[in-house]
Amino acid sequence: MTHLDRKLLRDLRTIKSQALAVALVMACGLAMMVMTRSLIRSLETARSEYYARNRFAEVFAGLKRAPLSLVDEIARIDGVAAVQPGIALQVTLDIPGLPEPARAEINSVPDRAVQQLNRLHLRSGHLLGLGSRHEILVGEAFAEAHGLQPGATISAILNGRKLALRVAGVALSPEYIFESPPGAALPDNRTFGIFWMRYEEIAEAYSLKGGFNKVSLTLAPGASEKHVIAELDRMLVPYGGTGAFDRKDHPSHIRVSDEIRILQVISFGFPLVFLSVAAFMTNAVMSRQIHLQREQIAILKAFGFTDWQVGLHFFKFTLAIVSVGALLGAVGGMLLGYRLVDMYHLFFRFPRLDFLVSWGTLFGAAGASSATAFVGVAGVVKRAMRLPPAQAMRPEAPADYRPALLERTRFGARMTLSVRMALRNVQRKPWQSFLTTVALSLAAGILVIPNAFRDGIRYVLDFQWDLIQHETVSVRLVEPGPARALEDFRHLPGVVTAEPMRTVPVEFRAGSRSRRLGLVGLPANGDLTRILDAQEHPKPIPAHGVVLSRKLAEVLGVERGGLLHVRVLAEKRTEAWLPVTDLAEDFAGIIAYMDLEAMNRMLHSGDEINGARLTIAGGSWSDFLEAMKNSPRTSGVVIKEAMRDSFRKTTAESIGLLQTIYSLFATVVAFGIAYNSARISLSERQRELATLRVLGFSQAEVGGVLVMEMVILAAASLPVGLAFGSLLAGGILHSVNTETVRLPLVLTGANYAYSVLVMTLATTLSLWFACRKLNRLDLVGALKAPE
Amino acid sequence: MCVVAADSPSSAQDPLFVVRGLTKTYGDGEAAVHALVGVDLDLFPGELVVLLGASGSGKSTLLNNLGGLDTPTSGKLNYRGWSLDEADQEGLTRYRRDVVGFVFQFYNLIPSLTARENVALITEVAADPMSPDDALALVGLTDRRNHFPAQLSGGEQQRVAIARAIAKRPEVLLCDEPTGALDIHTGITVLDAVQRINRELGTLTVIITHNAAIAAMSDRVLTLSDGRLVGQKKNPQRLAVQELQW
Ligand SMILES: Nc1ncnc2c1ncn2[C@@H]1O[C@H](COP(=O)(O)OP(=O)(O)O)[C@@H](O)[C@H]1O
Ligand SMILES: [Mg+2]
Repeated sequence: MTHLDRKLLRDLRTIKSQALAVALVMACGLAMMVMTRSLIRSLETARSEYYARNRFAEVFAGLKRAPLSLVDEIARIDGVAAVQPGIALQVTLDIPGLPEPARAEINSVPDRAVQQLNRLHLRSGHLLGLGSRHEILVGEAFAEAHGLQPGATISAILNGRKLALRVAGVALSPEYIFESPPGAALPDNRTFGIFWMRYEEIAEAYSLKGGFNKVSLTLAPGASEKHVIAELDRMLVPYGGTGAFDRKDHPSHIRVSDEIRILQVISFGFPLVFLSVAAFMTNAVMSRQIHLQREQIAILKAFGFTDWQVGLHFFKFTLAIVSVGALLGAVGGMLLGYRLVDMYHLFFRFPRLDFLVSWGTLFGAAGASSATAFVGVAGVVKRAMRLPPAQAMRPEAPADYRPALLERTRFGARMTLSVRMALRNVQRKPWQSFLTTVALSLAAGILVIPNAFRDGIRYVLDFQWDLIQHETVSVRLVEPGPARALEDFRHLPGVVTAEPMRTVPVEFRAGSRSRRLGLVGLPANGDLTRILDAQEHPKPIPAHGVVLSRKLAEVLGVERGGLLHVRVLAEKRTEAWLPVTDLAEDFAGIIAYMDLEAMNRMLHSGDEINGARLTIAGGSWSDFLEAMKNSPRTSGVVIKEAMRDSFRKTTAESIGLLQTIYSLFATVVAFGIAYNSARISLSERQRELATLRVLGFSQAEVGGVLVMEMVILAAASLPVGLAFGSLLAGGILHSVNTETVRLPLVLTGANYAYSVLVMTLATTLSLWFACRKLNRLDLVGALKAPE
Repeated sequence: MCVVAADSPSSAQDPLFVVRGLTKTYGDGEAAVHALVGVDLDLFPGELVVLLGASGSGKSTLLNNLGGLDTPTSGKLNYRGWSLDEADQEGLTRYRRDVVGFVFQFYNLIPSLTARENVALITEVAADPMSPDDALALVGLTDRRNHFPAQLSGGEQQRVAIARAIAKRPEVLLCDEPTGALDIHTGITVLDAVQRINRELGTLTVIITHNAAIAAMSDRVLTLSDGRLVGQKKNPQRLAVQELQW
């Protein structure tokens, strides 16, 4: 090691806490980036490997019933590689002790033939035996929610017959990475499960022998997906096809994609702020170092060290700080990601979800942030290189002070000495004061963002399930029925209000974009489902046309007043052009409403409904649920609180966990910035503060000058920082914009108060450290030689 | 103006430095400071020269020009036929590295390096250095070599600075008020070290001082005033530092 390097190590040791503060800020940014990008890579890899290994289909379609002979015809569609027909049916479950009615979707497994597509992954137990009876495989999420092990039994009502089904094994399927009920964006693993049963047995129970009601395809390389979907649709029309769709409309696939998109949003903007702050701080520390080492630089040059050797020395200085930051960030990000990947086991069911480090991000981000730091430092180092040696040997000209502007106001006379000195310092070095203020503003600003995430989620939880939905439950009928079916619901125990509802599966098309979902018909004067504008004011449902979630309109690329082509995918297939009469502000899921009467006219049907929304009196809740369990005509009950809970446990939980980590990092960064600012300001004032001490000022008086200056700058930085943080939070939250969730920008007083509190604490603590250092200052030493 | 005597031991050789019409002006227009105005000077190998003059008379400027820390505004500055006035930064760096040793008033040691390391820092990049320990022995600091500058007295720090300056066996040793920050007794130990090096290594040594008494230890005394060389006096016999009358 050369002696210049030895000097480097010792210099680093003297500013170790400052260097560490900078390294920590960089580490936080890097860790976040590495963590989120690695999670993205883990999810994407797990998903694509799962899809490939278990042959997840690419095109899907549901239908009423078709003979298996149709399969060969489907296989002959140009571009189809493999076809997997099957049966999928909803059954009601009877689970003792569970108050709510529960359902399962039973899927068929071929008896003898090999399952071509969507192959199962057996988690425990064994596959269904040949010719076995009353045996099922159960999806893992439901099995876990009920503690079902192979060998357990569960009662289900198959076509009106109650059967005790034996659990042969617990299984996973690429179709149900996310086990949510059809049409629902959110899972409820207690009341909805995925089962598999032998084809023969289920077909027999439902008189579907030799037929299928669900089909999945894969495409040959280079095939046109559009063409296959169109052909398949055409072919299935006579069999009650409900429309073919591809992976991007597949509910489970969408959910995983949405999660990845949220990760993508937060993997970039926020860490980038941290990394720029780190670059900024590196620059501040290095400027200060080079300034302090003016004479040392001059000496090195006087003795014949070249400009490049001097420059390299300070680059190495930077490199040391940056390396520690990169190392801490990389290791921290990997460890956090490793822990966090477990979170996804909560709601995504992969055969295995291994944590994969995104090495590209790790090296890319570490390299990029080091490069930024170096660019930031380059200017300063260049100044050191340019410093003429003779010039540097001359002590700096004494700073030229004058009374601060504020002193000339009428407050001037009442100012204490320390206030005056602090003000003069701020004014004498406006650039430096400005930079410190900027750094502190950044610190205050980044504290706002994670809490804005939290508040946004809280708002969504209230808005979606209190302001929009006022019902307790919504129930579905097995078949559409006459409007008077509503009376039956009204007479169920505990029902206070009941409003009719009709949902039909439709495909919306606007230009080249299309989307499939359930179009919900609502009564004109209804009150249980509200359409709200941005100010949370309810709007009536227009007499004609459709109302779309703003997000859905965005997905389809239509605006208010635009025309949508609507194709009904239910048995009575009709098509219509409907105007988009209004947009609804909502934050979870996407929805389309229209007036119930208008819907019935469009469907050319009488006054029909296929569901209802109900409010239930609290005391009769269990009676109501009991009655629902025994009602053969209802096919499903969606309990609002269960949905809210589900959102809380999935989307909100995953965002919440990330938000907590971010909040922690932001706090670390805020402390780092405050500490660094205090140290630099101490270092700059060291000589003059020491002189004051020599002249007989007390430690408290001298410390007061330092404190006062920081307090002035910190106070100035807060409003700027809060404004900056709000803007940034707005930008980042705005990009959390998936079909599952959108986050509104909610800025609360508590959020700002938190930022102010942390900054106050950070500044106070940093000043306390700085004052302790100041008190230990070697007065003679500080005055012995010019700075 | 005295002329260097023909029988001077040094004048028998070719001069190391030939300075002609050396002028240094800082700034321009009304604010221009004429730090040096047409200085003519020859400096010979092995000489010990003392530079006297009031504060602001241009002593440091002259020394800095001789040492390649600064370049003249006009005039000739030759070291062994090497035109320093025409040299670029790279040339000056090489010149400083190979030829010159500096000692400054405020020692300017690297605070994070020990005495020995401060010397070693320079010997590492020098062509034919002595060992840092030998250099420290020359200034009598062998037993303090592992101390940091903050643990050394002013005189000791200055002697480390001298050791650092001479460890690379420079041909020229330039000292700008080396005792300026020291008391008399400490100053003596420092000057003693300088004289010993001048004698034992035959290094051309130029010392700037305010203290005329120091002049007696030199071969030649130059006096500057307002940027001009106003006096040259040759000492027929130079005194040992201990014999100086303070
Ligand atoms: N870098 C500089 N910029 C402006 N003026 C300078 C500079 N260096 C020296 N001077 C001026 O040149 C004159 C000579 O300075 P100097 O050589 O340092 O004198 P001294 O004899 O005290 O060492 C002084 O008036 C000084 O103010
Ligand atoms: Mg001087």
